[in-house]
Amino acid sequence: MMPVAEPHLCVPETSWVPAERLKFVNRFVVDRAETCISCGLCASLCPYGVHKRVEGHATILPPYDQRCIGPSCASNSFYCVKNCPTGSLSVRASETFPALGDFRWTADMVLATWQMAETGKPMSLDHPANVGACGGGFDQLHFRIPKGGSMPKDYQFSTSVLLNRRKNGPKLKIDIPVYGGGMSYGSVSLFTMVARAKAAQAWGTFTCTGEGGYPVELLPYKDHVITQIATGLFGVKEETIQRAPIIEFKYAQGAKPGLGGHLLWEKNTPLVAKMREAVPHTSLFSPFPFHSVYSVEDHKKHLDWISSVNPQALLSVKVSTPNDVEMVAVGSYYAGAHIVHLDGGYGGTGAAPEIAKKNIATPIEYAIPKVHRFLTNEGIREEVTLIASGGIRTALDVAKAIALGADGVVIGTAELVALGCVRCGNCESGRGCPRGIATTDPELIHQMDTEWGSKRIINLYSAWRGQWGDLLSRYDMHDLSELRGRTDLLRFEGGKEVRA
Amino acid sequence: MYERYHIHAATVTPRYTPVPKFLIARADNCINCGKCERNCVYGVHERRDDDPRIMADPISQQCKNCFRCVAECPQRALTLSLNQDYLALGNGVWTPQRVLTVWNESEMGKIPVLGAGYRGMFSGPGYDAMWTDMSEIVRPTRDGIHGREHISTNVVICRNPPYLQFGPRGELLTTMASCADLPVPFVLDVSRLKEATPAMLKGYAQAAGELNTLFIFPVQGMAGLSQDIPESNMVPIIMTAQELASVPAGVRMIEIERDEGWDEVARTVRSQRPGIIIGVRLQTGPGIEERLLQASKEADVIHILLDQNGRDAEGRYARDAMRDLHRSLVKAGVRDEVTMIMGGGIAAAEHIPKSIICGADAVTLEEALMVSIGCRACKDCRMEECPANVKDSPSDYVKGRTINMCNAWRDQMLEVLGAMGIKEVRRLRGEVGRAIFQEDAERDSFAGMFGGDASG
Repeated sequence: MMPVAEPHLCVPETSWVPAERLKFVNRFVVDRAETCISCGLCASLCPYGVHKRVEGHATILPPYDQRCIGPSCASNSFYCVKNCPTGSLSVRASETFPALGDFRWTADMVLATWQMAETGKPMSLDHPANVGACGGGFDQLHFRIPKGGSMPKDYQFSTSVLLNRRKNGPKLKIDIPVYGGGMSYGSVSLFTMVARAKAAQAWGTFTCTGEGGYPVELLPYKDHVITQIATGLFGVKEETIQRAPIIEFKYAQGAKPGLGGHLLWEKNTPLVAKMREAVPHTSLFSPFPFHSVYSVEDHKKHLDWISSVNPQALLSVKVSTPNDVEMVAVGSYYAGAHIVHLDGGYGGTGAAPEIAKKNIATPIEYAIPKVHRFLTNEGIREEVTLIASGGIRTALDVAKAIALGADGVVIGTAELVALGCVRCGNCESGRGCPRGIATTDPELIHQMDTEWGSKRIINLYSAWRGQWGDLLSRYDMHDLSELRGRTDLLRFEGGKEVRA
Repeated sequence: MYERYHIHAATVTPRYTPVPKFLIARADNCINCGKCERNCVYGVHERRDDDPRIMADPISQQCKNCFRCVAECPQRALTLSLNQDYLALGNGVWTPQRVLTVWNESEMGKIPVLGAGYRGMFSGPGYDAMWTDMSEIVRPTRDGIHGREHISTNVVICRNPPYLQFGPRGELLTTMASCADLPVPFVLDVSRLKEATPAMLKGYAQAAGELNTLFIFPVQGMAGLSQDIPESNMVPIIMTAQELASVPAGVRMIEIERDEGWDEVARTVRSQRPGIIIGVRLQTGPGIEERLLQASKEADVIHILLDQNGRDAEGRYARDAMRDLHRSLVKAGVRDEVTMIMGGGIAAAEHIPKSIICGADAVTLEEALMVSIGCRACKDCRMEECPANVKDSPSDYVKGRTINMCNAWRDQMLEVLGAMGIKEVRRLRGEVGRAIFQEDAERDSFAGMFGGDASG
C-alpha cells in the first residue's frame, strides 16, 4: 500500500527576526553632528522612524539609516535636515551601498531579501528589487500584469506542487513551489544546514544534504531532508539512503557542469573528512561523471539500485543544461526518475572555476521552455515533475520559471542571503565564509544560531508566498500550477519580437 | 621516452601595487578597540608596528569584500567602497574584471576558482553571447570524459595535402610539407604591441621558447633574439623577399605582411626556401573573402588580423566574422588544407576555445601579453606615464608572468574541453554545434513570446 501524504497546508507564523549585523549598509547615511542638543524635534517630524528619542534617555538614539528615504526628502515639510535648529543633521548617499552586490544580485535585491527575511512581509510586484541588473534572462522577462489590480484581502490560493506524478511511489507534495538545494556539510556549516532543515519542516517542503554526508543533527527533520548521491559518493551509506524520502542524483551542477565537485583542502577539516570518510586537509574532488553510467540503460540500473535500497524514495535526477538538455530529460524519465531537476549555468556553488560559471552550458531560462515543450510533445509531461534551479533569486524569478514551464524550483543562494550572505564569493578556500555561513571553521560558525536562521528562511518564504498570491490574484488564478507554461503572460524585453 | 607536455608555473609577485577592487577607509571616530583586527580573516586590519595602541591604515588590497569589519564596528567608523580606479581599468574588450583576472592568473598561474555563483552580465557583445556545450551523462553515445592530462591541446600549423598519392609499390608519392606541431593552440605575436622594450621582447621570446609555441615578430628584431628562443620557434614577419636573407636556416615559418603583391613574395620565398611554412597576414575589410580564397592557394597559413577588441573592419565581432571566413573556406573545399590563425581581442581564457569553435585553428596573444605584466589597458596609453611602469619590466619577470598566464589559460581550456567530452582541441575547430549562440537559444526557447513592446 502506498502511503499518501495528507493534503495539508502549513503556513508557519512569521516573526520579526532582526539582524544587527546586517544594518551596516543602507542607501543613505544620516549624520548627526556633535552640535546636536537632543531636542527631539527630528524624532517628532520624521514619519519614517529614522530618529527616535526614548523617554528618560539623555540623548537621542543614533539615526536608523535603513528607514531614511534620502536627500529627495528635501521637498517635504518634515525634512529633518532643514528643520534641525542647530543644523546638526545631514543626509548623503552611502559609499558602502555601491560596493554591495553585483549584476545578478543587486544591492537592492540583497537588501530586499534581508528585509523580507526580517519581517516576512512581501514586497510589491513592481518593486525594482524583484529583478537584477544583468540585462538578460529573468531580468528581461516580465509578467504582463493587468493595470490597477491589487490582491483582495483573504484571497485564497494554493502554491503546492506534487513531486511525484508517476504511478509508483508516495505522492509527496510540497506546500510552496520551492525546496532547498544541495549544500554539503563542508561547504556550509552545520548550523546553516539545520536552519534550512527547520525552515523546510515548517513549510512542509524539503532541503538537501548535498554530497557531504548526513549529519545526525538533521535526524529530527529527516522527513524533510533529501540526500544527494554524487560521483564522489561522499558520505553515502545505506542508512542515509533508507531514511530519505527523496534521493537526488547529482549528475552535474550548473555552476561547473561537466567538471565535478570541488572541496578545497582548507575546508576539509577533520570533522568534514570524518563525515565524508576521507583524509582531512586534502582537496576532495567528485569526478565527472559517474564512471558506471555511460548510457540511459546504465542510468536506469543506477536508479534501480537506489529503489532496491529504499523502495519508498522518490528519485530526482539533477543535470545541467547542455545543448541537448531535452534529450537528457527524456532519458532520465525513461530511466525511472520522478523528478527531473535542471540546474542552469548561473547557479550557486561553494567553489567553481570562474570560466565555467559564465561559459559552460546555458542559463536556465533557455532550458526550461525547451524541455517543457519537448516533454509535452513526447506525451510524458504530466508524468514527470520538472524542477528548475540555477540563478533563481526572487519570488518573481520563481514565478517566471514556472511560467516558462517548470513545476517548481530549487533555491540555494537566496536562503543563504536570508542568513546574511553578501555574496562576496570567498567561501571556497581559507577558513571559508568570514560571515560564518558557508564555513566549517569552528570559530566562525558561531556567528549564527539555527533558531534565528530558520526563522529568517521561514520569513523569506512567507514573503515570497505573499508575492505569488498577489501575482495569482492579478490573473484571477487560484493555483500556482495554472501559471505553468503560460509564456503568453510574459513579455520578453530582448529588443525585437522573437518569432519561430 | 614519452614526455607529457607540462607548463611550469611559479608565483611571480607583481612589481607594482595591483589596483584593489574595494577600498576600506577608517574614519576619525575609530576608538582603536581592535574588533576589526579580530574579525578580519584576511589581515586587512592590524595595529601599527610602532605604536600598537593605534590601528594602522587598512590594507585594501587584501580585502575580500565580506563587510564583516564594517558590520561589526561599534563606532561605524569603517566604510567599504568600490574603488573608482578599479572601475577605470581597461577599455573595450578589456573590462576591469578581465584585467584583474589576468593579473591574478599571471601572478599565480592557476585557474581562478571562487565560491558563489556567477555575478556578471547575462550576456554581452561578441563571445559573451555564446556558451560552450557540455556533455551530460545520460546520452546513448558519447565520447567519454578523459582525465585532464589526456586531453590534447596540440595543433598543427601547416598545409595539409587534400589527399595522399601512392606509387605502384605502395610508396608515398606526395611530398609532405613541413609543419609546426604546437602543444598549445596559441602563439605569441608581439608585432602589434604598441611599445615593447628589448627586455620585454626577450622575456616574451623566452616564454614562447619554454612553452614551445611560436613567436611572431618583425624580422628587424631578429638580431636581438638569437640567444633567447630556438630558431624553430621564431616566426619573423617580412615584407619583401630580400628580407629572407636575415632569416636563419632553422626558422620553420615566416609570415608575409603587405597589402599588394604578397603572392609574389610568397612564390619567391617558396623557391628560395622550399621547406619553410609561409603565412600571410590578412587585414579584414572589403574583399576579404576573395583575398582569403586566394591566400588559401598561395600560403600555408592564413593569419586573420582583427582589431584589439576582436572586431573586423566592419566592426563585427570575431564570433560572427570568423564563422563566415571559416564557412567560405569550407565551401571552397579547402578548409582542411590551410591553417587559420586569428589575432586580436583575446582577453580571457574562454576566448581561446570560443575562437576555435568559430573556426580558427589557433589564436595569437597580443595585448594580453602586456596586461599580464601589469598594463592596465588604458584607453589613452602613454608609455612614459604608465602607472604600472611596464617598460621597466625585467625579462625574467615578463617571462614568468607570461608563462603563468598561458598555464592558467591552457588549464581553463582543458576544463572547457573536459566538460564537452572532447579529447583533442583540434576536433573543436568549427564545431559550432558544440556551442550555444544567444540568438539561436532565444529563438528556440522564447519563440512566439510577446516581446519588444515596452508598454506591455
